Amino acid sequence: MTTLGAPLLVARDLRRRYRDFTALDGVDLELRPGESVALLGPNGAGKTTLLSILAGVSRASEGTVEWAEGVAPRVGWVPQRPSLYPRLTTRENLRLFAALEGAPDPDAVAEDLIARADLGRFAGQAAAKLSTGTLQRLNLAIALAGEASVLLLDEPTATLSPDQRHRLWGWLDQLRAGGMALMFSTQSVDEAMRHGGRIAVLAAGRLVFAGSPADLLREHGIGDGAGAEAAELAFMRLVEPPA
Amino acid sequence: MRAAGLLFLKDARLLRRTPALLLVLVAYPLLVALLVALALQSDERKPDVGLVVLDTSGRSVQVGDRRLSIDDYVDRLSDDVNVRELSPEAARTALDDGRVAAVLTIPEGFIADLQSGVRPPALELTASRRSPIQSDAIERRLEAAVYRLNQSLATGYVEQVLQLVDLVTEGGELGIFGRSGDALGLRRSRELVLSVQAQLRRAGEAAAARRLAPLLNFIDETQSNLDLARPAANAIRSPIELHVSEAEEGREPLSAFGFAGALLVSLGLAGVLLAAAAMASEREEGALARLRRGLIASPALVAEKMAFTAAACLIVGLLLLGGVAIFTSLTVGRWGLWLVALILSGLAFGAFGVLAGALARETRTALLVALMLALPLLALGLLPDAEVAAAISEAVPFGPAFDAFQTLLVEPAIPAGDLTLTLGHLALLAAVFGGLATWAVSRRAAD
Repeated sequence: MTTLGAPLLVARDLRRRYRDFTALDGVDLELRPGESVALLGPNGAGKTTLLSILAGVSRASEGTVEWAEGVAPRVGWVPQRPSLYPRLTTRENLRLFAALEGAPDPDAVAEDLIARADLGRFAGQAAAKLSTGTLQRLNLAIALAGEASVLLLDEPTATLSPDQRHRLWGWLDQLRAGGMALMFSTQSVDEAMRHGGRIAVLAAGRLVFAGSPADLLREHGIGDGAGAEAAELAFMRLVEPPA
Repeated sequence: MRAAGLLFLKDARLLRRTPALLLVLVAYPLLVALLVALALQSDERKPDVGLVVLDTSGRSVQVGDRRLSIDDYVDRLSDDVNVRELSPEAARTALDDGRVAAVLTIPEGFIADLQSGVRPPALELTASRRSPIQSDAIERRLEAAVYRLNQSLATGYVEQVLQLVDLVTEGGELGIFGRSGDALGLRRSRELVLSVQAQLRRAGEAAAARRLAPLLNFIDETQSNLDLARPAANAIRSPIELHVSEAEEGREPLSAFGFAGALLVSLGLAGVLLAAAAMASEREEGALARLRRGLIASPALVAEKMAFTAAACLIVGLLLLGGVAIFTSLTVGRWGLWLVALILSGLAFGAFGVLAGALARETRTALLVALMLALPLLALGLLPDAEVAAAISEAVPFGPAFDAFQTLLVEPAIPAGDLTLTLGHLALLAAVFGGLATWAVSRRAAD
């Protein structure tokens, strides 16, 4: 059920300053149900800051984040570093976060997520003992414990091997197809082109591009189907001002 | 509240799942309590004092029924300090090198001056400047030793004076203050005068007999005055007496101080470190960011860590008190008040630890910060007589916690009302540090 319609989430003029450093400088962004937005940008561009503000982890110095009328603001947050209790088992982590999210039956939610994330073999294992890919699946499962309508992922595949990445994207595509809105940050232009229905490019805290992958190539003089190398070239033109 | 309860259970589960930490949490306070109690209850070590004896006369002085020489005096000093007899040069070198904390010099003619009574003999004390605290302690010890010796000598002198009074009254053989001979005595003098008067009257010399009346009056007056000499001399010998009674069981102040100190150090350290680690690990494991997304508010998170620490302090504290009640002569009464004191102390230690944990970015740093803050403040808590130390210690949880523990151990039957102020102080500090910790957690979560 992919339903691109009215925006679920609208961010206006978001700014975040740390003393004399501006991490985010007037960013406007929208997120619709069933869409996947890739946040691209070099290190320090403000991707994590933007996702943290949208997730409610950090506060914006200025600007607003508004939810569509009648929509419960339920965000699933997948930080780059798994945010869980390593000495609790997979099942205990899921049960605890489901309970914290206010689930009426945390045990049922935990078992459902274990099944959906294919974590059955690891349910009784301490999170600290899980492999990187499994841990990231648990990290994502925890984010889903609260019946989120928006999923924000900070470089979810940065530490994963290709097969683990493939598996994770398979699950994320399923979620998106089910109507969930995704926004993920990545440093891989290829990943953004492949999995982002829209791409937002940040550079030095400013939004320098927002549009479809095709728009990115078109606006920078590279035709469709020019391949990953061409997309990277377009991205570099955006983030590196001409000498 | 529900979220705080869930995290409380999670923390308890994690603690139970880490046997090494659990063992440390119980064994460490027990060990610290034992060491602190032993340290605080053991006698102070006698300081080393150099003794320079310049009176080489070898004389001794008879005081009352005993004879006092330099050696006797040195023996008496040895009760209070470790005496090392040295030459003047060796004593100076030892003082400079720090091998002795002070040098006591017995001057030339000490015994002769003591014997003559013309001028009191003086001892000279030179204390090291290396340690003012130790110098003060040695001065006090030697002052006490000289006072005791003076009292002993005064007793001897008074006894001699009273013997002299008896001799003047009753007459007899003279053998005091180095003098000997026969004394007539007032009583025999009176009898003699009365006998002479009677003989004179019988011989018709009434006028001559009357002339002896003033002598008789003098003898009577002198006798009356001498009758007052004994109580007066006794009063001079010891104007104020100090009666030291054996403390009742369970009311040994030194033991109470020792165990209160042990409880403070063990619970204070365990509580502060546990809270700091619990808070910092939420952050280090990355869970804090997820929690702060509306799953739990900062005040509730801080309250949960405080409650967790208080529960741990309560269990460890009750274990320690059980040990005290079973294995020592101290009486542990008012268990209800103990529960309140342990819970409030745990909450205050927890708030202090959470603040340290929230200020640090990593668990190891948090533990180090908590330890570095707690250790000196705990030490200040044990020095309540120093004004500045007391003021600082009362501004952190350790001072009032120590007050509460000490009061409950010294006065096992204390009425609840007498502890209200101390317990209120602890509750206030728990609230203040809890507020500061909440501010720090909010700031960290927003970073």
